[in-house]
Amino acid sequence: MSKVRFFLKRITQTVFLLWLVLTFLFFLFRLMPGDISDILLYQGADPDTVAEFEESWGLNDPLYVQYFQYIYNFILLEPGYSVQTNEPVWDFVKMNIFNTFILAAPAITLAYILGAVIGTVTGTKRGGKLEKFVPVPLLTIGAIPEFFLAILMIIVFAGFLGWFPTSSMIDPAVANQYSDDPWWRIYFTQSFAMHFVLPFTTVVLRYLFLPSLIMRTSVVEVLGQDFIFYKRVTGLPKSARLKSIAKHSSLPVITLYPISMARAIGGLVLIETVFNWPGMGYALVQAVLARDFATVQFVFFVIAAFVIVANFVIDIFYSVIDPRVSLDD
Amino acid sequence: MIYLGFISFVLLLAVIGPLIVPYGYNERIYGPDGEILFSAAPTLAHPLGTTDSGYDVLSRIVYGARPTVVTGMVSGFMIFSIGMTIGVVSGYVGGRVGNILMRFTDLTYSIPLIPFALVVVAIFGSGFYVSIVIIGAVLWRGLARVIRSQVLQIKERPFILAAKTSGASTPYIIFKHVLPNVAPMGILFLALGTGYAIVIQAGLAFLGVTDPFVPSWGIMVRNAYESGMMSSALWWSLPPGFLISITVLSLFMLGRRLESQITQNEESMIAEAG
Repeated sequence: MSKVRFFLKRITQTVFLLWLVLTFLFFLFRLMPGDISDILLYQGADPDTVAEFEESWGLNDPLYVQYFQYIYNFILLEPGYSVQTNEPVWDFVKMNIFNTFILAAPAITLAYILGAVIGTVTGTKRGGKLEKFVPVPLLTIGAIPEFFLAILMIIVFAGFLGWFPTSSMIDPAVANQYSDDPWWRIYFTQSFAMHFVLPFTTVVLRYLFLPSLIMRTSVVEVLGQDFIFYKRVTGLPKSARLKSIAKHSSLPVITLYPISMARAIGGLVLIETVFNWPGMGYALVQAVLARDFATVQFVFFVIAAFVIVANFVIDIFYSVIDPRVSLDD
Repeated sequence: MIYLGFISFVLLLAVIGPLIVPYGYNERIYGPDGEILFSAAPTLAHPLGTTDSGYDVLSRIVYGARPTVVTGMVSGFMIFSIGMTIGVVSGYVGGRVGNILMRFTDLTYSIPLIPFALVVVAIFGSGFYVSIVIIGAVLWRGLARVIRSQVLQIKERPFILAAKTSGASTPYIIFKHVLPNVAPMGILFLALGTGYAIVIQAGLAFLGVTDPFVPSWGIMVRNAYESGMMSSALWWSLPPGFLISITVLSLFMLGRRLESQITQNEESMIAEAG
């Protein structure tokens, strides 16, 4: 199978999956008891709004027309109104998406870089004390529920040491001060930086253990291969050999990176909730507790879309850098 | 050994705990003058103090062992049985059935678990068992994949061919020859999956989407967090979280021991099981 056909097939599969999630949500929310316009619109809306809403969503039409309208609305990013704020969902969710990114992207990246280093160091010290004991603290961090890790951070660094604020993303006073500036201005304030430290550290710690362990396993595997032995025989210095080992064992870790990133965006729910970080996960929990279904529906779709697209990116990336991957499956 | 001991201890607490605790999990504790002891620091009578509602923390912790064990057992059983069935069938039977089963497994990989649980709870209402079943219904995916690839290898081995030529039926071969060979991997995933399930269920409890009246450790952490006394009432906020962590760590370490016996490289499965 040619590369082009492979890409086309993967793109088709990805679009199919996204459609499947949308369809699943459509029917799931129509299985619920109650009128759909009560669910997707805030309660006590005036009749004009309801009429307009029903018109735009085509709620008087047969189900299949509604279904197409629903898909169309999602593509236009008009997934209804939030019960909590009476705003269109997209208007307030878009900032939450950005806030999750600004937390997850640097933190996961750092966790992967650190993890690769830890994995290489422990993997090359096979049989030594380091190899035996480093995985234990890593597994311990992996076993602590993320919300409890976040709480421990708050107790130590915010409660006892008092170095950092405990919750939210920025001081409301500071946010007001910059309310007339462009939206990105608040991300360059000291208040934001102080609020950023604890959630950031928690995410790094939490996502450190998987890349470390996978890198270690991979390094051990690579070490057993012939070419490393020959590199040793040719008398290359240790640093050069380590570089080569790291290069050859990093593939599984690189593969896991986008998937972890996408999963983190969903998994950050707990850490965001503990720190009241106004990200997607936080929005989802608030929406579920407020029974704000339009928001629940949209945020879940965005999170699922990230996972699906990340899987797609990995497949493409893998087929490009690793010629051994079969394109036929 | 310590880890096995700790797991036995939690199991024991779950079975006999509620029989030996001095106070009920929602029994208010009164001081000598007849007032309710809200958030009292630890004393001899109440070694872990009381909560902001005046409940005895130690008693609540003992009660909390049972929901934890139930979570681990129910989702562990689901992960094991669904994962083994799908893995063995798609690996051994193969063909169109195997393909469909594997596509289905791939599909579950695009489900973000906690957000999915939140959506399901939003629609069908919150509940203790609902939260466990959602976890079990998704987390089998790693086991199914690993078992399938193992079965694909075992299938090509001479003793399977020998069994086939001597006229053994497919179910017979699966039960007699395939299952015993993949069982250790299943048990490894049972340990790891149980650990993950306990963490995730505690997370859902913490988010407030499970039954708040089941006195689980996750709910206790949530109550302490909500009360805003995390840093001042350490006797209440820390023990339940540490117990979850140690229980899960014990399961992970047990899995690590198992894995080093089954395969040469440890800790690669811990990524698959999540």
